[in-house]
Amino acid sequence: MRVGIVCPYSFDIPGGVQYHVRDLAEILIARGHQISVLAPADDDTPLPPYVVSAGRAIPVRYNGSVARLNFGPITNARVNGWLDRGRFDLIHIHEPITPSIGSLALWAAECPIVATFHTSNLRSRAMQVSYPFFRPSLEKILGRIAVSEDARRTVTTHFGGEPVVIPNGVYVDRFADAPVNPDWQGTPERPTVAFLGRMAEPRKGMPVLAAALPTIRRELPGIRVLVAGPGDPDEVRSQVGPEDAGALEFLGAVSDADKASLLRSVDVYIAPNTGGESFGIILIEAMAASAAVLASDIPAFVRVLDGGKAGVTFRNEDPADLAAQLVALLRDRVTRDEVAARGRRRADIFDWGVVADQITMVYETVLEGAAMARVPVTGPQRVIGRLRRAARGEQGEGG
Amino acid sequence: MTLDWLFAGIALLVALGWYLSYSAARLDRLHARVEGTLAALDAQLVRRAEATLELVHSGALDAASSLMLASAASESLAMSEFAEADIESQLFSQDRESVESDLTEALTQVLGEETLAHLDSQGADDPDAMDVLARVRATCLRVQLARRFHNGAVTDVRMVRRKWTVRMFRLAGHAAMPQTVEFRDALPNGWA
Repeated sequence: MRVGIVCPYSFDIPGGVQYHVRDLAEILIARGHQISVLAPADDDTPLPPYVVSAGRAIPVRYNGSVARLNFGPITNARVNGWLDRGRFDLIHIHEPITPSIGSLALWAAECPIVATFHTSNLRSRAMQVSYPFFRPSLEKILGRIAVSEDARRTVTTHFGGEPVVIPNGVYVDRFADAPVNPDWQGTPERPTVAFLGRMAEPRKGMPVLAAALPTIRRELPGIRVLVAGPGDPDEVRSQVGPEDAGALEFLGAVSDADKASLLRSVDVYIAPNTGGESFGIILIEAMAASAAVLASDIPAFVRVLDGGKAGVTFRNEDPADLAAQLVALLRDRVTRDEVAARGRRRADIFDWGVVADQITMVYETVLEGAAMARVPVTGPQRVIGRLRRAARGEQGEGG
Repeated sequence: MTLDWLFAGIALLVALGWYLSYSAARLDRLHARVEGTLAALDAQLVRRAEATLELVHSGALDAASSLMLASAASESLAMSEFAEADIESQLFSQDRESVESDLTEALTQVLGEETLAHLDSQGADDPDAMDVLARVRATCLRVQLARRFHNGAVTDVRMVRRKWTVRMFRLAGHAAMPQTVEFRDALPNGWA
């Protein structure tokens, strides 16, 4: 299949959508499909061979935070050029509602379109205002995918219809086969716990963990909390007493390989996030690495953990409960191993092999439906589209 | 003065004409999409019934289970003979919906978690049966997708047909009002 994938966010910046698009493109290419990814990029950034640059993204305040987006006539021309040259059987647009190359491709494309919705926090006021204008191009989306239950609900509320939920993928083997690092391995006297993510961002839950630390240390004085991720260690140290600060070890931002080794080595991975997560891919990575997962009971995490069977949960924003659950888990080797084993099995359903099968099935179903229609269902919509085709000397087909 | 009004009136008429022709084309495309997705759903249901019959003939199941699946699958295949009429009327008859629910039900009953585990454990001796089983699972998944995407197309066309311009100028012509297709399509528990 010739598939064009549109990613609205820049590949040089880390982010869930970009990783998803990269992994999807790579597994589809490995399976023999012809894939081209259109994404924003600075002109001097080295890009993987399958990525075509849509030009430099500009930081704009949008949807309550600063997003880097592409728009304007030059970007539009680049999108059209990519579509024309690609002659795709199908294009797959991620986040089609952002004012960026996603909506431009949606507007211009004349082949069947699949769209994946990642976000669960759309601004409804902006949607209502732009809706009448946008609706006709949304009708060109023949298959809708949501990456999580929350994202599915958002799509159903704003656009109607029932998207298919296909989760984010994880390369399970990369975590399951990661080398164990003895420095990060726990012992009964000195058990290890991993925290990953920006420590300065309160919703990642570092303050909850810091508040629980004194209780945890009273029970397990030898505990080591390995903190990986960007941020200022002194800021975190100042949240806890000088003695408790000794339990914290800061690894800074770690590479993908080190992250996998860290999760593979520690006794427990802890995710005290207080909210704002729609999925929780890091939990799956930890499960794939056979770490026992202890997470706050926010809805996204409870779902990933199969209702709490594939990991242990504590009451969100409750340091006392966090401490109690963590101490219990670290003291009981048998339970911890069972939790880790259930998590390891659970991770398999999120493996990229399985996820890519599902996405390929969506492509095939959509193409079959489009092929059986009597006129092209996403054919040239507008006068401009028809003129563009005429200018290229192509015959208009049908309607 | 009157000339200005005349031009304004002509411009308005042209704009209205363009809007109506654009809306009619948009609606035609939406109807074509619904026909396509319904035909695809029909094709997928036929494949599911055929794969189920293959499973019956593979001999991997006991006689009672085989009989149950064979009867449900052949009911489904018989129904697809009327697919053309279904596509014409842009909906599935209630009979067809209940027959497909019945096949889903039969697959759920026969392929319980224990049976699937049993078949899995024997998989090494009978790779063909495992192949057929995998095919049945894939067709069940594809039925789910085809029905979702069809119902998505139906929702889109119904939304446009509710608009007053479409109703007032009868832009939909004689095309039937599409209905969503509703039947049970859940996977057997061991596969979910």
